[in-house]
Amino acid sequence: MSDVRPSEASRARTGIPVLDERLKGGFPRPSTLLFFSDKPTEKRLFAEHFAVEGAKAGEGALYVDFYRAPQLARRELGQFGHFAPDQITFVDAISSQLLMPSTEPYRVEDVGDLRGIIETVERAIEERRPSRVIVDSMEFLADRFPKEDVLREWRRLIDVAHRAGSVICFLFINWTYRDRDLQEIRQMSDFVVEFQSSMRGGIVRNTMRISEVGDGGVQTSWIPYTFKDFIGVTVYFPRILVTGPFNAGKSTVVRSLSEKAISIDRMGTTVAFDYGNVNVMGIEAELFGTPGQERFEFIFQIFAREVSGVLLVVDATRTEDFDRAKHMLELVGPRIPYVVLANKSDLPGALDPEAIARRMDLPAGTPVIPTVATASRGVRDALLVLAEMIIGVR
Amino acid sequence: MPEDVRAALQGVIADLKRIPDVLAVSIVRRDGLPIVHSLPKAMNPKKIAAMAAAIVGTSEMAAVEMGQGDFIQSIVDSHGGKLLATGAGEEALLVTMVKEDANMGLVLLSVDRAVQTIAQLLDGDELLQTEAQT
Repeated sequence: MSDVRPSEASRARTGIPVLDERLKGGFPRPSTLLFFSDKPTEKRLFAEHFAVEGAKAGEGALYVDFYRAPQLARRELGQFGHFAPDQITFVDAISSQLLMPSTEPYRVEDVGDLRGIIETVERAIEERRPSRVIVDSMEFLADRFPKEDVLREWRRLIDVAHRAGSVICFLFINWTYRDRDLQEIRQMSDFVVEFQSSMRGGIVRNTMRISEVGDGGVQTSWIPYTFKDFIGVTVYFPRILVTGPFNAGKSTVVRSLSEKAISIDRMGTTVAFDYGNVNVMGIEAELFGTPGQERFEFIFQIFAREVSGVLLVVDATRTEDFDRAKHMLELVGPRIPYVVLANKSDLPGALDPEAIARRMDLPAGTPVIPTVATASRGVRDALLVLAEMIIGVR
Repeated sequence: MPEDVRAALQGVIADLKRIPDVLAVSIVRRDGLPIVHSLPKAMNPKKIAAMAAAIVGTSEMAAVEMGQGDFIQSIVDSHGGKLLATGAGEEALLVTMVKEDANMGLVLLSVDRAVQTIAQLLDGDELLQTEAQT
């Protein structure tokens, strides 16, 4: 990486605000990204999102596609939102494989000729000087050509993109290379974005993790994400639990954060749960509010599974409930990120965050955020702080 | 193969929906998340899933409290129809909505068969992790 500190404007935004914030505005330009996964779909989703996000912001993108005809790829990219068609240039590597004519300005004539392929891409980068380049994908080349040749051409492509000031993204599934070669490929990159998916009880969960290569760089936790038509990739928390003692204001917190919330309540108190769906700052989350009273504690057994994080709501004027609040946290389980909402902080006698942290004997650094849920004050900040904790430090 | 499991679950739903009395079907996880469903547009699958989980969770607790043994299913009877929430193995629940005047014998028989299939499909499916290479 260059030692000139680029300003925010020269960064390539991901369009996911919490990530861009982590990345100080986006991926630096120029830089080299490695998108790594075991399965093809996941990394491509993020790559396409990244290309379209640039196009939407008026940046040029170059998409090198070894698998799809440009017409098809264009249509699929349309699912990520609207952009001017000429913002994204394709390198067509399909028509020659199918012996079809091509109307694309950049066409790979012979997929059996590695040098020829790379030359076509180089020419496209030099002429178009795109802000973002996607190479989909390197395993196509790794499967067909000797490793030494692929690595040499890979490096050359990085140099060309670097000179053009582009962020170049290499999609790569490793099927054939050894650990040592992988290490080398990582070292050639500035950032590694890994993708992973798991299934439990019939539900598939996708996560990704961004690591800056080298010491002291950005390093996130595994971030859960999902895909939505016309929006693209969003960070997705399948379950944020909103809990806390009786009458602390949990239902009001759920309601004030969600566009549409439901509450199963009787006589002013939640008897089953509250539910709300939140969309804020490129994050989507499902909120589940629990009842506060002990007699409904069995509800935890139902909903306290696969919890991404907890909003622990306490009444800042009622110190006598603080032990109960801590007990409820234990019901959720260990090692789950949480934020304390010091609710009703506008009432006389409300304790300030420091006093609450002391009285509750919270571990150092636990965020305590004053809120007035009835006026939607502070609750959104609390959710964002929690989101950042889940996404990871540094 | 996650896609295979999901396709098989869709098949279970399709079979149930062939019964004329069955209006809508959803397979949800016991912790209130939707797995697969064929619900009318007007219904929010996430809310239905959460409610079914709460109904079953509460019913199970009630059955235990009253010493009635293992839970089988909850039936919510309304003027407009019935909602059946049936345990389907360790992981899942089957939610079936039927007409008010439905032939319950046939419905219960089919639901019983369906939950067994769902249990077989999902209970063998331990955490299927694809660790990314590092």
